[in-house]
Formats: sequence, structure tokens, C-alpha cells
Amino acid sequence: MTTHVMRALASAIALTLCTALGAAAQERPAADPPSSDLDRAQAAFQAGRHAEALASARRVADAAPTSVRALTARAGMAEFMGEFDEARTFYDRAAGLAPDDAETIYRTASFAVRVGEYDRALTQLDRLLALHPGHVRWLFQWAPTRFQAALLRDHPSLERIVQLKLDILTEKGDLEQARRLARAYAIVQPGQNYCAQARERAGAERDEVFRAFRLATLGQPDATDCIWWYGQWLSDEGYVRLGRLMVIEGSRATASAANKESGVRYVRIRLGRNREVPKRAEQLFLIARQRYLRDGDINGASRLFDESIRLAPAFARPYNYRAMIAADLGDREGALAWLQRALRADPDSWRTHRNLGRLFEALERYPEAEMHLRKTVQLFGDDAGGRLALARVLYAQGKYDDFAKEARAAVAFLANWRAPVPEVRDFLAKFDRWGPGAALPPAPDPHVIMGWNYD
Amino acid sequence: MTNRTTVVLLLGVALALAPATIDAGTYRSVDAQGNITYSDRPPQPEETRAPAPEATPVPEVKVPDARPALGAKARDVKASAPPTPIARTGPTKVDELLELSGARAQLVGLLNGLASELRPAPGQMSAKDQASVDRILRQVLRHEAVYALVRDAFLLHVDRTNLEATAAWLRSPLARKIVALAIASSEPGTEQKVVAYAATIKTNPPTDRRVELLQRLDWATAATEISADLVAAVSRGITTAVSGAGPAEQRLRPGQIEDRVAQVRARANGALREAHMASTLYAYRGLEDEELAAYVLFSASEAGRWYNSAMRKAMVSALGRAVDQTAAELVRAVPLDRWRAPRRLRRSR
Repeated sequence: MTTHVMRALASAIALTLCTALGAAAQERPAADPPSSDLDRAQAAFQAGRHAEALASARRVADAAPTSVRALTARAGMAEFMGEFDEARTFYDRAAGLAPDDAETIYRTASFAVRVGEYDRALTQLDRLLALHPGHVRWLFQWAPTRFQAALLRDHPSLERIVQLKLDILTEKGDLEQARRLARAYAIVQPGQNYCAQARERAGAERDEVFRAFRLATLGQPDATDCIWWYGQWLSDEGYVRLGRLMVIEGSRATASAANKESGVRYVRIRLGRNREVPKRAEQLFLIARQRYLRDGDINGASRLFDESIRLAPAFARPYNYRAMIAADLGDREGALAWLQRALRADPDSWRTHRNLGRLFEALERYPEAEMHLRKTVQLFGDDAGGRLALARVLYAQGKYDDFAKEARAAVAFLANWRAPVPEVRDFLAKFDRWGPGAALPPAPDPHVIMGWNYD
Repeated sequence: MTNRTTVVLLLGVALALAPATIDAGTYRSVDAQGNITYSDRPPQPEETRAPAPEATPVPEVKVPDARPALGAKARDVKASAPPTPIARTGPTKVDELLELSGARAQLVGLLNGLASELRPAPGQMSAKDQASVDRILRQVLRHEAVYALVRDAFLLHVDRTNLEATAAWLRSPLARKIVALAIASSEPGTEQKVVAYAATIKTNPPTDRRVELLQRLDWATAATEISADLVAAVSRGITTAVSGAGPAEQRLRPGQIEDRVAQVRARANGALREAHMASTLYAYRGLEDEELAAYVLFSASEAGRWYNSAMRKAMVSALGRAVDQTAAELVRAVPLDRWRAPRRLRRSR
């Protein structure tokens, strides 16, 4: 046995070392040498070295304060990194230097939409339209729908205007007007089954899924399930504002009383009910999440999460991420404090109860873990992962009958979703045969229902 | 696997009083004051003396049917000295418990094995770097220091009633016999013996009851799980240190490290489970079914579960801290670019 175990250890060490050392020694593929500092900054950005890219772009813009390209590059990278004040400053400077530059105007408008400054965005779009020749403007504003597809194809900047206006109308909650606009500019066509197309794309790249569901929402007002799933998908992605609008729209339009009730519950326990989350706060949260998960930028992410919390104190998600960062750094007490703040901000947050339960479980504070995990499955009865976590906590406290009941319920539910959790089944079989063992039961967390997997 | 790497890691099993995994190069000696020392070199004549005889009678075993009789199979097992019971004058101390269970001895073997695995092969790096690595391994993976971590971590989980029940079991003739078998099963050449034994199993398979008892033992002690936890702790320490020492843009965030550790653990768990049956069949071939049943019964008792749980936490915590420090110091002393791929990978190419 010794040797078998040593083999496992040796393999693990070798694997770990090889992976780690291999990654460390890996050389990036040679690229064409950058022709300028700005090119170097953009190459770094393309390579995913975002912080380095922004630092370079700052130097370049400072050294060339009259270069529209340098100022716009800095603004774009700052926007991408969630440094919104800096982005605004440099977009404005670029626009001041090139007031009729279509690209600068468009990016300024797009940035305004990102931070929820819709009136400002519309003003910019009007300026962008004004740059087009008179006959093009006339056609864009007055020509029948059958001419618009070709017009937008020939003038991509016009399509950009339409798409941004669709976003603005949708985000402001005026879905009817957005649908009229989409029809008027042939963005959606009658008779198309956009919903079916969107369902086919489930699991595709994010942008593709996003576009497909967006079209379904605009083109098929009666496809309530699709609108509903769009809302839940957006919620998973972190777009809580639009997600809430879509879930509410799907619930409003559905004929099913059960679905209406489910929608109300979803908004309450998953999207903070009617707690206001300004667009800027939402976007800061989204970017902070990326800076942490993608870049490992703890300081930058923490600062943006904190800013998001300042702008939207009742928005539970950034607190949960601050807790995650603390826990990842080994500060479990700090994580606990963040989660408790999250719960004060939004007592019905299913995710917060779930995270608290799991954290208390890790701290072996089982009674508190049980309390929060019971609340978790009470809020969302189909949460099989939460139920398995509850089962584990019950087992740890010697509540074996309750453990078996919850674990079996979760296993039965997951079987319907083709998630067999064999490790849990195996554990239950042994438990039934031999009684309690020394190890705690496994508590996997399979992602089976869209809208309940990420924050 | 070389002799120097024939070490202990199966603390899961070992600490659960299952087959221990003592390094072939681990030696136990008792000095003139009765202090027990473990070392990876043989005791010298002047520093060794015979263990003192037991000062107190062995307490009554609280496990039913714990018959001390040795069967025919047991006589085939090379006799190995079980840990010497410590004289009792009051409540059992944690040190005594760890001594009785063989955990302390097994820790030495584990650390020796770990150091061996982390030590670069000759020629992998410069002599100076090699010397730095050796020095760090000697200093940080020092047996007594890590043992102190284990003891301190174990103390956090002490439950007096369960501790005394466990100690009573460990002082029983049957438990001592099991520890002896565990030691015997970790002597040099065990791997070959297990392989040979596994071949005989094909023609002379174990009884269903035997298989059931061993499966149940693994369930009751969580031996495989504990071993996988230890592998995960080692993986975590190495990954964290190497990632932290690498270029900033390639560093893993803590959550990503945990994901990788989970993958390593899952892989190790599978391998450990596969090896478990043959290894335990070999290690416990000297036990009668009734003896094994008694062992299972203790392991499944409240005291047994407490002991295994507390030991699991203590070992994982202590080993994790030791590996964290070791790995951090290694990559600080010898930068990553002066390490080459581990020898195991190079050999497999």
C-alpha cells in the first residue's frame, strides 16, 4: 500500500511541478515587433496583459496629448478596466480634438450607454447621424422598412446607431418602442422563429447567445419562455438590470400563473427585488469580477467592487465577491464579515445564504451552516447543490436521518437533469449498508438550471 | 520507485491504524533517559538501548471479540515490534496517543519520502543550488518541528472521552498487533510482495466477507480520503509557491489554485481507491476475519470516527503548513528558471 500511495503522491508532485514549471517557463509566441509605443500597448492588450497595456497607454497619451489615436486608446483601455472617470476624460479630450470623427463619437456614445448616461448617448448618436450626407439621413429617417436593410448594410455606422438606440430603449424599459424600432429597421423580420434559433445556440459563445436571445426578445414578443430564459441567462452573466427587466417581461407576458409566481420569486431572491442598481454600479461589478477572475487583479478588483457597493449599497453581489476574495486569500473571518454585510443589504439573497452556509461549513460552524443552507433550499427548492451542502452539514452533526432525506431528494432531482452525481449515490449506498463513516459526504454543485449558477 | 522514495504517505490508512507506511529508512531508538527518537539513519550502538518493559498492564479492550490469537497467516508475517505502550499514571496525553498509534513514526517516513520526491535528481541543477535545496528540506521538513504542528493541530480537536476510548483500544493486544502488521507491510520490497500477492489472489481469491470487511474498514476510517487530502495539501503548497514565483501575468489567483488542487486530488483519489484492496489484503493477511471485524467495529464507533477525523485535520493542517513553507523557500532560494522539469516527467518522455 505504501508504494501505491507513494506513486499517487509522486505523480501528484510531478504533475503539479510540471504544470507549474511548464507554465512558468512557457514562452509566448514571437510577434511582429511593435512599431510604436502605442502599438506595444495595444499588443499587450490583445495579449491579455491589460494592466500593462493601460499603463503603457497612459504613458503614450501623456507623451502625445494631441494624438486622437493615443487618447482614444487610453480611454478605451480605461473603460475596459472599469476606470470610468479616466475613460470619460480622455474620450472628451479626443472628441475635443476631433469633433467630427465618427469613430470617436460612436465610442463616446457607447461609453455613455455603458455607464447609463442615456441622454448623453442619444446626443452623440444625433451628432453621428449628422455626419452622414443629407440623402442618407433622409433615407434613414423616412424610407420604408424594405429599403433599410440595404441602407444599413451600405452604412455600417447607421446600424451602430440603431443597435445602440435599441439598447437604450430596452435598458430604459421601453421594450415596445425598441421592438418597433427593430422592425422599422429590419433588424428583426416577421415570420422568423428567433426563439428556436436562440435555443439552438444555448452553450455557444456568450456574444452569440446574447445576440440570439436579444433578437428573440425584440422579434417575438409572445415567446415568453425565451424572454424568461434570456433574463435568467443575463442574471447568470451579471447583467442584473437587463436580466430583471427580461424576467419581469417574461412573467408579465406568460399565461401561466405558476410562471408568474416563479418570476416574482426569482426577482426577489436572485435579483434583489426592486433594489436600485445604477448602471454604472452594475458595470463596475462586472468589470471587477473579470479583473479578479480573469486577471487575478485583487487590488484593482477590490477597488471596483467597493466603488460598486458605494454606488449601490443594497446590491448583494459585490459583497459576495469581496467575500470570495477574502476566502481565497485565507481570510475566512473577513469573508464572513462581507457575507454578513451582504445579508444586511439584501436579506432575501439566495446566493448570500448559500455562500454563508458553505463558509460556515468550511469553518465547521455547523449549526449556523445548517441555518443558512436550510434558508437556501427554502428560497429555491430546486437548488440540488445547496441541498447536498445541507445534507453534508447535517451528516457532520450526526443528523443522519435528515442527511439521508436531503441527499436522496437532491439525487432524485438531479437524475431528472441527467446529472447522476455517482459519488453521492456511492456514499449513500455505503451509508445504507454500513452506517456512518469517518468521511463527510461529497457535496458536488452541478450546474443544471440556467440562471442559478453564477453571480 | 527507489528505496529512498519508498516512503509513507498513506497516512490515511496508517493513521487509522491500518497498514502503516513506514519508510524503509526510518529507525526508532530509545535513549538512556527513555526518550524515543525517530531518524532516517540507523541508531548507533552507543545511543541505543532496549525499550523498557511495560510498567502497567494493558487495559481491557472495549471492542468485542478482539481475540489476541494469531492465526497461521499471522505467523507468516515478519515480526515487527509494535510501538511500546507508555506507562500510564493519569489521563492519556496526546503525545502518548500519537505514539501508540504509530502516527509519530509514520510522520517521519512521510517527511523523508516527501523530501525525497522534492529533491532534484543529480544533474538537474547546479551543485550550489542542489545544496540549497538539501539544506531547506532538512530544515523545514524537520521531523520534530512537523510533529509539533501535528500535535498542536490535534489538540484543537481533543475530546477527552473519545481520546481515552481510543487510547484503550490502542493499548489492546489486537491494536498493537495491527500496528505491527502495518509496520511490517511497509518494509523494503513491499511493492513487489504486494504484486506477487495480488497474483495469488487471482487463483485464490479472498472470501466475500474479507472483501466486505476491508471495504467497510476504508469506509469507517476514510483512509483513502485522508490520503487524497494529503496529496491535495502537497499539491496546493507547490502550486502556490511556483505560481507566486512566476511572472505576474501568469500567476494563478487563489481560486484557480484550488481548482487545480481539486483536479489533482480527484486523480489521486481514483488511483488510491484502485490500489486499496490489494494493498490492504496484503497488509492484513495476518489478521483473522474476527480480528478485522473488531478493528472495523472500533473504527466505526464514535471514538474511532473521532480519532480518524481529528487525525485527518491535524495531518492535513500540519503537512500543508510544512509544504507551504518548504515550497516557498525552495523557489526563493532557487529561482524557477534554474529548475528543470521533474525527473519523473523527463523519464516518461
